[in-house]
Amino acid sequence: MDALIIVFASGLISLFAAFSKKPILVLSSALGGLLLGIVSIIYQITGGQSFVKLGYDGLEFTQASLYYSLTILVFAFLLIGIGYSRFKESTEHIGEYIGLLLFSATGAVIMTAFTDMFMFFLGLEILSIPIYVMAGSNKHNALSNEASLKYFLMGSFATGVLLFGVAWIYGATGSFKVSEIAQAIFQMNIDNTMLFIGILFILAAFLFKVGAAPFHFWSPDVYDGAPHVVTGFMASVVKIAAFSAFLKLFHEAFAMAHDFWVPALSGLMILTLFVGNLSAIRQTKLKRLLAYSSITHVGYTLLVLISGSMTSVFDMWFYMTGYGFSVIALIAIGISVNDEEDKIEALKGLGKRNPLLAIAGVIAVLSLAGIPLTAGFFGKYLVLADAWKEHSTLVIIALVNSAISIYYYLKVFGAIVSKSETEQAPIKLSLLTTLIIVITIIGMIGLPFIIPFL
Amino acid sequence: MGHLLFILPICFALIVLFVPKNAVRIVGLLGGLTTLVITVGLICTYNSANGMHYFVKQDWIKGFGMTMHFGYDAISLLLLLLTAGLIPLILLSNYKNELASNRLFTSMVFFMQLGLTGVFVSLDGLWFYIFWEITLIPIYLIAYWFGAPERKAALLKFFIYTFVGSIAMLAAIIGLKSMAPSFAYMDLVNVALTDKTVAFWLMAGFFLAFAVKIPIFPFHTWQPDTYAKAPMAGTMLLSAIMLKMALYGIIRWLLPLFPEALETATYCIIVLAVIGVVYGAVIAIKQNDMKRLFAYASLSHVGLIAAGLFTATVDAISAGVLQMINHGLVALGLFLAVDVIERRLHTRSLSDLGGIAKQAPKFAFWFAALAFASVSVPFTSGFIGEFLLLKGIYNYDWIIGAVAGTTLILGAVYTFRAYQLSMYGPVNTAEFADLHWSEFVVFFIIMVIIVVLGVYPAAIIDFVKPSVTNLLELSSISTSLAK
Repeated sequence: MDALIIVFASGLISLFAAFSKKPILVLSSALGGLLLGIVSIIYQITGGQSFVKLGYDGLEFTQASLYYSLTILVFAFLLIGIGYSRFKESTEHIGEYIGLLLFSATGAVIMTAFTDMFMFFLGLEILSIPIYVMAGSNKHNALSNEASLKYFLMGSFATGVLLFGVAWIYGATGSFKVSEIAQAIFQMNIDNTMLFIGILFILAAFLFKVGAAPFHFWSPDVYDGAPHVVTGFMASVVKIAAFSAFLKLFHEAFAMAHDFWVPALSGLMILTLFVGNLSAIRQTKLKRLLAYSSITHVGYTLLVLISGSMTSVFDMWFYMTGYGFSVIALIAIGISVNDEEDKIEALKGLGKRNPLLAIAGVIAVLSLAGIPLTAGFFGKYLVLADAWKEHSTLVIIALVNSAISIYYYLKVFGAIVSKSETEQAPIKLSLLTTLIIVITIIGMIGLPFIIPFL
Repeated sequence: MGHLLFILPICFALIVLFVPKNAVRIVGLLGGLTTLVITVGLICTYNSANGMHYFVKQDWIKGFGMTMHFGYDAISLLLLLLTAGLIPLILLSNYKNELASNRLFTSMVFFMQLGLTGVFVSLDGLWFYIFWEITLIPIYLIAYWFGAPERKAALLKFFIYTFVGSIAMLAAIIGLKSMAPSFAYMDLVNVALTDKTVAFWLMAGFFLAFAVKIPIFPFHTWQPDTYAKAPMAGTMLLSAIMLKMALYGIIRWLLPLFPEALETATYCIIVLAVIGVVYGAVIAIKQNDMKRLFAYASLSHVGLIAAGLFTATVDAISAGVLQMINHGLVALGLFLAVDVIERRLHTRSLSDLGGIAKQAPKFAFWFAALAFASVSVPFTSGFIGEFLLLKGIYNYDWIIGAVAGTTLILGAVYTFRAYQLSMYGPVNTAEFADLHWSEFVVFFIIMVIIVVLGVYPAAIIDFVKPSVTNLLELSSISTSLAK
């Protein structure tokens, strides 16, 4: 709760700090606020009490939601940090950019902690609306505008579908509260059409938000058109928030209707994996590749929802955190290389231009591909191992896909490690960017080794 | 002391990145030799009576059954010795090349050593898989950075092939773990696989990973291309050490873990392996590119080792270990011989070569000695190893044994054809400098070991026998069961 308030307040402060026309002030208030939020969450994880107590039970910060919030704030911190070099170019707008990202992060934190549908919806909207705006923040660029409009239209449609679903659920169970919905489903007749329609609608909206097939068509265009930081934000913060919310919905509220939605989700998971992977093979642009690869990773993560074991919450947290670090590292590289057309080929000769970026890039690609000793491998392992007992076929399909995906990751890997034909200027990194890249490297390598201490 | 096996390669992999360019080769050699000394130390202190020596044995992540179990027995030790011994030889054999003073190359060789060492000492399914995968990265990078110009397609094929194999193994490991309390080796061995189909598919997962890497007949298509396109040091690493990972995997994991499933599958696997033996040899006869020729020769020799291992008898497996060491040495030597020619003449196609023996008699002598070692004449280490392997296969099924036996004849044909066409005949080339001292030292060391082991193979066989016996007891396949 503290962190939520702190981050929201720092968002406001950033907005007002922009009046001073000093970008550094906006940045430091945002990063300071996030850092304070991170500290307060760590304080609570280690057993401390929240300072703010509300008489309202719509939000409940359990251990799980604290972990998810921690990741969200860390990612927001990293992304705002690497985006700063771009943001500061437009002094008059930096306040909005950073403020909107912070508000979005606030929404994400709410989504990890809601206990009723009302708060869930509120969180989702607070998360989404700033992103609609931010996707178009590069406003002299037609692609960015297209991305924004597309995301907005599709997103609001999905929101409508979601609300409709919530209404059906309310009709079937008579409650908005997660625990009461679960109770009601537990007691009701198994074949309740009203409930099923509601679940289906919510499922569709959810799959839209995370970009799973067949609701994925917006994501490559939006990822490609949006500025780098916003792409990174959508791939890491938005996804982890959406997944944590839907994990709660499907594993707590709709757990008893398990037999209904698991087969549907299994089919969609297979579709998502193949669509993401096969489309990624021919991509030549880094951000488009990231979009398709993120569709594939959504597919793996859906497996957590499907398998539903004791450790699901942890598996998903670990997977999304590891994935987020890799995405942020690649986004940082994309920003630093600053290629007009965002071609994968432009990564050639990165080792010469800046060894640190090359190392981060190599590790990030290996982590996305799931090569051992990276967080990506352990994440994939946890997900697959948990699903093996009940859904071994799905695990094998996932592994087949991971074999397909090596082809396009190897392309990026090859580009990073090969020499460039033309002489290119070395890339100079600011201190902040260097720090952030080092953090992502530590995250990608070190994450598996901190598990025993959690 | 076992920890040093991990620490030293990591340290040297990082150190060589920061030393001045002209010191890289010295530091590299030094690093290789230090690890060798440690390994020899471990062998001297090893006592076969205690069975498996764990030097790390603790839980890692309790909730997920991940452990950190690292240890060795005689089989692991010999492969560690092979790795530690061949790495300095590989560095030394490239001493004259620019490659040896390349920081990234030397660093990658040490990363490779780290991965290989890990594979040979991991007694935990997950760590075995982790190290197994890690070795892919340095070898890919070595071949990618320093290979022939048209290497990319071949490397992609190599990477995807081996990655698919590894993925199958990962699936099998996950499946096996779901029936065991943890990944620890003993826990996995003790899993009772009651369902035959499940046992078969789990076995198939492991087998696919090993079969691709060895490679066994239908899974071999990546090998000649990759060998031909990789730089010589990469080819040496691949054939001399890396494929031993898979043979080791058969001994350590496949045989003890899936005795039930292997009962039905062994026959097919041995037939496939023996097809590879003959197929590789026949194709090698027709090759014009020397490197490809020895790549196919390697396919043939390794197929024989694999076939022998699957007979699961103490003699055949001990001989298999001996033959692994022999193959590592001979392959290194032969590829070096090809490289000696290629460095000087910039070609390795047999039709362009000839008469080198007149210009470089010293080289001709050592190449001839290696050629003899390669066809396993008596008093070279290959003789007793190949003999025992063939005997094992013959006892298993005499027809297969007889077919596999043709390798001796075919081996002589392709080896001496290559030797004859390159070394004798009219002199085709203007100039051919004789051996550099570093090349000479490598040839000399290899031949000394080959001859010593040829005269006294019991040094290896008696050393591994207790461990092999232990292992076969684990797998409960007794000699009699294997018919």
